[in-house]
Amino acid sequence: MERFKVNFQVNGEPVELDVRPSETLLETLRDRLELTGAKEGCGLGACGSCTVLLDGLPTRSCIVLTAEVDGSEVTTIEGLAEGEKLDPVQESFMEKGAVQCGFCTPGMILTARSLLDRNPRPTREDIIRSISSNVCRCTGYKKIVEAVEAVSSTETPET
Amino acid sequence: MIASKFEFRSPKDVEEAVRLYREFEGEAVYLSGGTDLVPRMKLGLEKPKVVIDLKRIASLTTVEDQGDWIRIGALARIFDLKQNDIVRGEFPALEASLEGTSCESLQMRGTIGGNLLQNSRCLFYNQSEFWRRSKGFCLKMGGESCNAVPGAKTCFANYCSDNATALCTLSAEIELSGPDGTRRVNLEGLYSNKAERPFEIQPGEILTAIFLPKMRSVGGYEKLRVRGAIDYPLLGVAFSFVDGTGKLAVGAVGPRPYVVEIKQPFRDTVGEAVETVLKQVKPVGNTVLDPDYRKQMIPVLAGRLVNKVMEGAK
Amino acid sequence: MDREYTIIGTRMTRTDSLAKVTGRASFTADLKLPRMLCAKVLRSPHPHAKILNIDTSKALRLPGVRAVVTAADAHGVKWGVFRYTQDHPMIAVDRVRYVGEDVAGVAAVDEETAMEALDLIQVDYEPLPAVFDPEEAMKEGAPLIHEEYPNNVNIHVHIEVGKVDEAFARAHLVREDTFHAPGEAYSTLEPYAVVASYANGYLDLWVPNAGPHVRAKALSNLLKMPLNKVRVRRINVGGHFGSRSEVSPGDLVTSLLAIKSGCPVKLVLTREENATCTRQVHDIKATIKTGVNKDGTITAKEFRVVYDGGAYSSTGPIATSIPYYVYEEAYRFPNVRYDGYRVITNKGIRGMYGCHGRAFLGGNEMQLDMIARELGMDPMEIRIKNGLKVGEETATKSVIISGGLEEPIRLAAAKANWAERRAGLKEGEGIGMGCVAVMCGFPMGFRSGSACYVKLNDDGQATIVTGICDTGMGNESMAIQIASEVLGIPVEDINLVNADTEATNLDPGAYSQAASFVGGNAVKRACEEAKRQILSFAAAKMNHPVEDLDLKDRTVVSKTDPLKKMPMRWIVREAFFQGKPIAATGAYMPKIDFQREWVKNPYGQMAGTYSFGCSVAQVTVDRETGQIRVPYFVAAHDCGNPINTMAVEGQMEGSVLQAGVAVLAEETRWSQGWLLNPDLLEYKVPLACDMPEIEPVIVRSNDPEGPFGAKEGGLTTRMNAYSAVVCAAHNALGVPLNEFPLTPDRVLKALNAAKSGGES
Repeated sequence: MERFKVNFQVNGEPVELDVRPSETLLETLRDRLELTGAKEGCGLGACGSCTVLLDGLPTRSCIVLTAEVDGSEVTTIEGLAEGEKLDPVQESFMEKGAVQCGFCTPGMILTARSLLDRNPRPTREDIIRSISSNVCRCTGYKKIVEAVEAVSSTETPET
Repeated sequence: MIASKFEFRSPKDVEEAVRLYREFEGEAVYLSGGTDLVPRMKLGLEKPKVVIDLKRIASLTTVEDQGDWIRIGALARIFDLKQNDIVRGEFPALEASLEGTSCESLQMRGTIGGNLLQNSRCLFYNQSEFWRRSKGFCLKMGGESCNAVPGAKTCFANYCSDNATALCTLSAEIELSGPDGTRRVNLEGLYSNKAERPFEIQPGEILTAIFLPKMRSVGGYEKLRVRGAIDYPLLGVAFSFVDGTGKLAVGAVGPRPYVVEIKQPFRDTVGEAVETVLKQVKPVGNTVLDPDYRKQMIPVLAGRLVNKVMEGAK
Repeated sequence: MDREYTIIGTRMTRTDSLAKVTGRASFTADLKLPRMLCAKVLRSPHPHAKILNIDTSKALRLPGVRAVVTAADAHGVKWGVFRYTQDHPMIAVDRVRYVGEDVAGVAAVDEETAMEALDLIQVDYEPLPAVFDPEEAMKEGAPLIHEEYPNNVNIHVHIEVGKVDEAFARAHLVREDTFHAPGEAYSTLEPYAVVASYANGYLDLWVPNAGPHVRAKALSNLLKMPLNKVRVRRINVGGHFGSRSEVSPGDLVTSLLAIKSGCPVKLVLTREENATCTRQVHDIKATIKTGVNKDGTITAKEFRVVYDGGAYSSTGPIATSIPYYVYEEAYRFPNVRYDGYRVITNKGIRGMYGCHGRAFLGGNEMQLDMIARELGMDPMEIRIKNGLKVGEETATKSVIISGGLEEPIRLAAAKANWAERRAGLKEGEGIGMGCVAVMCGFPMGFRSGSACYVKLNDDGQATIVTGICDTGMGNESMAIQIASEVLGIPVEDINLVNADTEATNLDPGAYSQAASFVGGNAVKRACEEAKRQILSFAAAKMNHPVEDLDLKDRTVVSKTDPLKKMPMRWIVREAFFQGKPIAATGAYMPKIDFQREWVKNPYGQMAGTYSFGCSVAQVTVDRETGQIRVPYFVAAHDCGNPINTMAVEGQMEGSVLQAGVAVLAEETRWSQGWLLNPDLLEYKVPLACDMPEIEPVIVRSNDPEGPFGAKEGGLTTRMNAYSAVVCAAHNALGVPLNEFPLTPDRVLKALNAAKSGGES
């Protein structure tokens, strides 16, 4: 069977792989690179549990072929903290009680991180619009919205 | 997992892409954002020998002001496009439809061309191979008759592009490049009016660009859906008013958008225009709300939209 | 109020959240073991058929296939929660009864090979007539799905209290209405997965479960293995809501494959399989008749409720009863007749749901509003009047020991400014209220109780060992918090070993609202016993009266003289020296009447205690499109006393999504035996943009039995949120809304029906 050679960055590290052309980025991350933080919730792009950052943008890795990401940069939840130092979004999710079963959490956090990178002071409406890309069955979203709001006010003090 | 085996190619220009298509004797699919295509491959609705990724073709992603026309590269991302100044300034119906498309993350991946060429949808069709095989293949899968309307010999799948509906009100044209060269047609000319194969596209043709006449319009888009994001439209109504003429388009209730011109004063003519549409549409129980209800909502959404747009234009 | 606690009642960061925000928390599908094989299941393509023959020989010959199992490899044992409901072989023997039923399993070196092998298994079927509608299934002449259930009636629960017919005859006002709600999907974000490993005669299983001990027991029966050889291991669980309570066909298939192949085997279901082949929620049609006095006192209730049970029994009798119980636990019914029929159909298997029974509960509450309106009463007033109080008994003889309905109603109304908001409603707006009370635990024989073991380690830290299971709600953190409070050590000093049948003791599991009330009590008692031991050593070592000593900040300290203290680890080490290490067990068995039986004797004390709740929703309705929005929601919930305030709020807020907003959108859709929306695209789990502003109100009733006064946290909201929304919609529209969910097409239909029928 034909293989496809891809080079890309995962969490800052270069990766070179021969993949099946039909392999999805989620399969590559989970099965080959053992980065299981991205979850498969639906496999069809409907729920956002598999969200990773692809060149900084929240992307459903279950409907992206690994072959497509040649030359790109991928950030998974495992790559968000710097060593033991958590990203402020991770910290805020913990403090505000935005985590319940934890299955949607990696995707939610990365979606929020990307929003804050593009827009450091999002309105509540902006936050809701962004995280409406991802399904959470446990929290009712309230504490997730509050967690993201809390980061936006601490990361960028009002001037 | 995608069960079918295929090769992957990422050509640098359109000619190379078309050449690859011929090389694989047509058993090829063109990939843009993949938000429609990859799920279809996962469900076994597409089993190509090769996937030709168009994302490395730079010319397909740009938006250009060409004087009389605005040219939108087919691979422009929905998220980028909705923030484009020209789109926001000139084509509010398109802007609203882009905003209404799926959700932010998928807007960042999905392209305008991919959105236009998404296949038509049906609850009896967008299912796994196991599901479809056990139920028995329908018309759209090469079977004898429809599963949504048992016994029917017509396919009722809905074409669910939000943006096509809006673009139809803006008199959009599209550019297709294929083995026999490049042609430009009205967007409405893209549709076959047959849900099982919704597009009049020649084998190997690539949708390369969308052209919009550069005329400032007022307009809007109303979308019926159950949730505020992610969902495909259960009905989409777009309206644009350009240079004294209004165009109304109704989508997601058949294999193509239904487009009608309306003359001022709209108060008197909207009803008539909607009647024309209602005569053509036959929604059936193949999506999540009652078909009669979806039909009933056409005049409601159309009336509201036209009022809102014309109020705003004052 | 109760600020005498150090950590109980705080907004503590959950102990499991660090692993979850960093992606290090492993769920079943994340596990990888050496030589692990991939499993796939061959499923029935027919809603009802005889199996004439299964030929697996070709599949076995495919290179890379390591094992194929069918019913021939199983042991002929059928699953059912009760002896009289054991009807589900888990792998079809000679008949399939729903599309997707497990017929054979394959384990192969990779997914592709396993898929290929499925295509090579030849099964000959003889299709049989099928029936999909429960009321059709009950008719004479309908296809019989199980020989043992005449008219396909799987369970009939009959409850009769008082003189129902006489009470109706004397009632000032009688109303009868029928409500219907189709089934729902649990939509846990984690699709079902199983990892099974068999070595040395022991079977280890990792599987999203809500109670490892009951799971292991069920599997030991199905596999005919001694219970101690079946070990269900602790694993993170990506949501539950009732779906992970029972053993699942995938557990058996994967176990058999692991035993047969000698290799660890992993089965991960697709989203579609998760929806169609694990459990689903019952479709319910409820006919409700209510009689009241002039002053609004409910004098008689009569119910006929039909549950679409799918192909097998599952939790049959419990599922057939729970909607009624959570209603009678809230309100006083002097005369009541309940007939619940669970009917077998050729659809997927069903289980209990966190918000089980919306047609019944939403219907009851909407009807109560209709009655209140006819009597000129405020919906709040009629609820308070009929609400149970402490010391009263439910209709089926359960005593209420704490709480009562009035306080949650009053606090919800106060938070929502009920009267002002109601008076100020504009056209198209409505406000509604929904109430229930929920049992904390229910009769499960000797498995109704929980036991905990605690040991103090040589550095003064503690390890607690408990069967408490966490499926996402924060039970692990709750257990640690309780231990921290009792032992006077910070949470980071506590190691938790839980939900692992090899190490932990019996616990009722995380599906009968028993985790904090029963499991938490056991943890508290074990830690109190350890504390007693520590203090007794300390009294000797410090030469100080034991009654004056306490544990605080890792220290034994005098209650009266704060200068008199000693590090706890010194005492712990002293105990080791003396050969009496600090170790203790604690157990709690709720005061339940074990003569009670779901069908034969549905009377007596159901649970140790009850939590009460009231939700208030405001809606706006677009009369032209039928679209409803919920802009505002108040949930007041009597959890006794919150262990972790933030976690209790989280449960309530999640309930507003899963029950409150869901009643506008969520439903499973069918074409005969085929589920049309087995996905997360056309099954509509609400998104952030669909949610209201939520105000959670925690009500404290300080339960005399609960640990630190605690009861269950959140389920009352899950059981009454839909009532609040449907009552608000009814308030806005003024017409009966008998068909749920309240999708815009149904709303418009109801408006049109009222217009043509003249009913207001």
